[in-house]
Amino acid sequence: MARNFQVDVVSPEGTIWSGEATFLVARTTEGEIGVLADHEPLMAALATGVVSVEDPEGRRTSIGVHGGFLQVVSNQVTLITDRARIAEGGREEAAQVAARLAEIEPEADA
Amino acid sequence: MASAELRQIRRRISSVQATKKITRAMELIAASRIVKAQARVRQATPYVEKLVEVIRNVSRATGGASHLLLERRPVRTVGVVVVSSDRGLAGSYNANVIRLAEANMIDHRRRGAEVVLYVVGKKAQTYFRFRGWQIERAFLGVTDTPGYGDARAVANLVMDAFATGEVDAVEVYYTRFVSALNQLATRMELLPISPPEDGEEAAAIAYSYEPSPEEILNRILPRYVEAGLFGALLESSASEHASRQRAMKAATDNANELVKVLTRIANQARQAEITTEIAEIVGGAEALTGSYE
Repeated sequence: MARNFQVDVVSPEGTIWSGEATFLVARTTEGEIGVLADHEPLMAALATGVVSVEDPEGRRTSIGVHGGFLQVVSNQVTLITDRARIAEGGREEAAQVAARLAEIEPEADA
Repeated sequence: MASAELRQIRRRISSVQATKKITRAMELIAASRIVKAQARVRQATPYVEKLVEVIRNVSRATGGASHLLLERRPVRTVGVVVVSSDRGLAGSYNANVIRLAEANMIDHRRRGAEVVLYVVGKKAQTYFRFRGWQIERAFLGVTDTPGYGDARAVANLVMDAFATGEVDAVEVYYTRFVSALNQLATRMELLPISPPEDGEEAAAIAYSYEPSPEEILNRILPRYVEAGLFGALLESSASEHASRQRAMKAATDNANELVKVLTRIANQARQAEITTEIAEIVGGAEALTGSYE
């Protein structure tokens, strides 16, 4: 039986996604990682890629992410990232979004 | 002639009224921007809180973190970041933060430390250039609605300077948004990072790390510096709009007062003109009746 846990995706510009979820997949610097309820405490560095969250109704949200951190503590999952955007069109679009986010460099305006 | 005086006063009234329209519009715009700027400050808070939480946990796990950005060394050169606005008409907003920064910069020099100056906003740039300070780098056009990318640009610059030993410390002068009525020019030590204090002695959570705690710390500390700067930019922006709103409200009130006074003077002048005219007519009539007798 799928149990729920709380997910918050926070960025400096505000909370990007927040709610209950049953399943989450993220790409860390070491590889893909899946999180279900009652996952052990984890701190991971995220790579460029897609984070998918599945909510209790089975809807999937894909978020393009470039860098950041994933923290799991007692059924609280927090994604801390300064570059993330929700992609409406599923995984492929999210991957493109992530690639685009990775290209953003601090433009030097003098 | 009296009517020339009257015309002049009326022209002044209409000019004051035109100015009032502008200051009133600026007041309203600033007021609406404050709300937005405040909301952005609020939205950034969870991010910063989470960052601090993670840093605290990780440094506990690594048993006293050591990292380049945490390194304290004798200060021979100080990097100074001054956050001002691009536009004026914001009361004492720019003057306060610039004064605080310059006082401290002079202090540093007296103590024998060099100052490397970075400015945000045209007002600080103009001022410090005029006063003969050398400006290492100026960031313009960001203070109205600062984005995270702007903070990242400034942060990368000062972190590079710190890492290469160009500067031994970095401090930021910005205006803290205490409330809509109270904004405070503030000094913040950005680098080296002083690790967030262990607040309540919560039991350290046994995380599994991916990759190592050290690597996570390496990645997260620069984010912390960026977030600190971003916060300073956001607060400064909110403060700027609040200061401008207050300054423009005062200007609008003054204009109203001025219109009142000028209207009174105009009425007086008009009355005087009428009195003179009547006196002339009566005088003329007197003279005519006199000639018939």
